[in-house]
Amino acid sequence: MINATLIQQQLRKMPRPGRILLFVIAAMAPLAQAMDDLPILNLNRPIRLDFSGSWEKDFRRSDNWEDELGRSMRIRQEAAARQSTQGSSGRSRSAPPIAIGNVNLSRSSGRGANIVDVARLAEYISRQSTLKITQTREEIRIERRGEAALVCGMDFGIMETFANEHGVEVCGWDGQQLVFQIMLPDDLIVAHRFSVSADQQLLNLITSISSKGSEPFNLIQAFNHYDAPVDEFECVQTLSRGRVCNQADVDF
Amino acid sequence: MQPLSHPKAIKLLCILLTALLTACAQTPIEPPAPPLDLVGRVSLIQAITPPSQPQLLEIGILVFTVDDKQQQEYQPGDWIFDEIIQKETRFLPHLLKNTLLESNQWGAIRVIPERDPSLDLFVSGRIIKSDGLNLVLEINAKDSTGREWLNKIYADAAGFGDYPESTRFTLDNTFDASNFIDPFQDVYNQISNDLLAVRDSLSEQSLGKLNSVTEMTYARDLSPDTFARTLVEGPDGLLMLDSLLARDDPMLLRVADMQYRHQLFIDTVDEYYTTLYDDIKPAYVLWRRYSIDEISEAEAARQQAESNNYGNSSGFLSLSQRYDRFKWSKIFEREFTELASGFNTELAPAILELNTQVRGLNGTMEQQYREWRGILRSLFELETGESITGQ
Repeated sequence: MINATLIQQQLRKMPRPGRILLFVIAAMAPLAQAMDDLPILNLNRPIRLDFSGSWEKDFRRSDNWEDELGRSMRIRQEAAARQSTQGSSGRSRSAPPIAIGNVNLSRSSGRGANIVDVARLAEYISRQSTLKITQTREEIRIERRGEAALVCGMDFGIMETFANEHGVEVCGWDGQQLVFQIMLPDDLIVAHRFSVSADQQLLNLITSISSKGSEPFNLIQAFNHYDAPVDEFECVQTLSRGRVCNQADVDF
Repeated sequence: MQPLSHPKAIKLLCILLTALLTACAQTPIEPPAPPLDLVGRVSLIQAITPPSQPQLLEIGILVFTVDDKQQQEYQPGDWIFDEIIQKETRFLPHLLKNTLLESNQWGAIRVIPERDPSLDLFVSGRIIKSDGLNLVLEINAKDSTGREWLNKIYADAAGFGDYPESTRFTLDNTFDASNFIDPFQDVYNQISNDLLAVRDSLSEQSLGKLNSVTEMTYARDLSPDTFARTLVEGPDGLLMLDSLLARDDPMLLRVADMQYRHQLFIDTVDEYYTTLYDDIKPAYVLWRRYSIDEISEAEAARQQAESNNYGNSSGFLSLSQRYDRFKWSKIFEREFTELASGFNTELAPAILELNTQVRGLNGTMEQQYREWRGILRSLFELETGESITGQ
């Protein structure tokens, strides 16, 4: 062990500027240590808004699918009426391509599903009233009851997250919005676009569905941040014992 | 030669470029690899009478290897499956070891982390494919002289019949792993039989020489300077004895003493791998069961998707059916990934235990093994130095 008295004696022998310098170095040591502990800022990794937390649907601010369907039908009827009075050829208006970032996904032309059916599907997909989102520097995971989690990386570009004969799911970031696009057989496309307010209190989800290149039917859902109670149990999946749970350490 | 005029040069360049692009476009697509020959049903050849002493070769089975994936091949969640295959590199050698032991044809057989100079024959393996349905291994075997015994790919396919109902996890079912026969046992039987065929093709004299080469290889590993001239490379590239020390040479006695200590250590290492194998086995069999279930479900889904064009209807039921099929296939795959993760979680304590077994040595079992060999070498040098001073 270092003898403290000996150090004090040595310090007294030192000239005053030397002692000050020594104190400054000693004071800076923890600072340097703390700086070593800081994560290195990787400028190649994009900085994203924080979507994490528990979210509950705000029905007041969210679209009602029947109202939205009525509105869409009215717009279409008006457009059709305009076209007939202008003597147009009657061709259907082509819908803007759904884009993630700057890449357009391919779509085919042809007669799509009835807008009522598409709207019902949008309602069917959007029934969850809560979301749980976890976010790290590497990935974002959106859990919805009764659905497979939507998981996306934080990098630039389009990422394929799931693909099989039943469909392909891709995701990507469009600015600060997170977009998932699911391409199902017969040119049925479902897209989810998530955006969050800067204060992380409001979250918007636009679900767009289009069939065979038709104009997408959009349903907007608004969510509010809420503090979910801490899980009482921490569970892990095992193979030979099924799901094993322990009582979580909760800080009061 | 007359220089080309400007438009002519451009024209020629265009033709060349077109030719080049056409050539590129016509590059033949690599044909798919031919299907591997499966080993089929193989009976293990067991010794009824004990083999002669030179035939009792000591075998070291190295922990298997697996090819690293290319970065671009990675998809989210792949690391979980990478971890599983890393565990298999330690688990599968044991199945081979048990098969060789069962054949009663060999001396001591151990699973070791790296090539060991004290053993007669080394078997190394590379896992090419391993899941509940298929196993493809590349097996290489070489003896201490450098002679290649095997270099072959072994493949086998399992069926649902290979997995009894008890391998399906339920809350009231405890899987008894002790009586379970591995679905790919035929692969290990075939490897054992092939090794035996090579050994039987060698004369007793050749096997005796092989034993001596092993002894000198170990001595040379302990003290390269002292035993440098005992072995030479023959015209066929194989190691052979050049000079032999007298049987009662004190140096050779010391080597034998060191070899004894070394073998005690590698026996201990092997025991740890055996414990790991015993720990892993029940969960591993369940995992393989899940794996074959998943492969079969995926195949059924693929066939369903091929045969069903979802009808021509675009009604709500048809649309929701399309969405639900996608949703459930994704949920199923995620659950499988979660199970894979569960398998890793369950085995983590066993792996940790393996790496902390040898007191006083640090690092993974592989690092401890290297450290031990270094200690023995130093000990040998020390003892030799002391005896020289004494003389």
